[in-house]
Amino acid sequence: MQKEEIVNRLTPVFRKVFADNSLVITEELSALDVENWDSLSHMLLISEVENEFAIKFKLKDLNKMANVGDMIAIISSKL
Amino acid sequence: MNEYLIRKAIAADIPFLADVVIASEKGMSDRLSFTTLFNKSEEETKKLIIQMFEEEIDGCELSLSSFIVTEFEGKPVSGSGAWIECFHENMQSGILKSNLISYTFGKESIEYLKTKSHIVKDVLIDREPMTLQLEYFHIKDEHLGKGLDAALMERIEQNALAEYPELKKVQCQIFKNSVFSIKILLRHGFKIVGSYKSGNEEIFDYLPYNEKLLMEKILKTD
Repeated sequence: MQKEEIVNRLTPVFRKVFADNSLVITEELSALDVENWDSLSHMLLISEVENEFAIKFKLKDLNKMANVGDMIAIISSKL
Repeated sequence: MNEYLIRKAIAADIPFLADVVIASEKGMSDRLSFTTLFNKSEEETKKLIIQMFEEEIDGCELSLSSFIVTEFEGKPVSGSGAWIECFHENMQSGILKSNLISYTFGKESIEYLKTKSHIVKDVLIDREPMTLQLEYFHIKDEHLGKGLDAALMERIEQNALAEYPELKKVQCQIFKNSVFSIKILLRHGFKIVGSYKSGNEEIFDYLPYNEKLLMEKILKTD
């Protein structure tokens, strides 16, 4: 799956989890940039992303995700 | 105090550390968020906490490396968890913990959490990077009043300063109804610097209390 398609599918997920229809995701985006991206919403995000792409992240995958770019790369590797 | 040995926790301590986590999380209540927010029994939760510790991730409250243990006659009688926030690979401890829970608890539990997350969000407190976060501190009842709390606090701070000599601050998040723990912290130089209260009465069904305090101790000023 192309990176652009992953971003297109991730965008509504992020907007839903963080309740922000104007949120634009970039590869550099991380928890530090989004006000209500906390430990609670992070679990919800992971679950929604796994549901969206029908994948299951390994723990080492999750801990490598410093930003959305890392997330996109890991999703891509699983598809 | 001579009969007590304070040391770094090892893998064999993990089942005891799970008990420390459960006792500390409950505080002065019978509410354990790992059970109430994820729809698990306490027995299941203990097994999952053990699994999370066994992953040996560093830098959060479910890291084996964050804990020290006190031994008495060869058995652990206290456990304390503390880590320097964002020290390891610049990852927030909340994210590391969330990753552990997401991975270990399973889809159904996270789906259940989705229905409850709005109840608890008001008492979530961000952790300040490069501060020492004290999260779990539990001494078995029969070993209270022996000066262990002072010895443990000193060791926690010493260990942290050895790892990061520029450390300036220790923080602790604690429910307001944990009055005995709050008194201990005040006695050890902590001050209350913030309060986070939920107006949603439903929170009492899920968490020990509806208000969390942020307490802080300054180790050195600039």
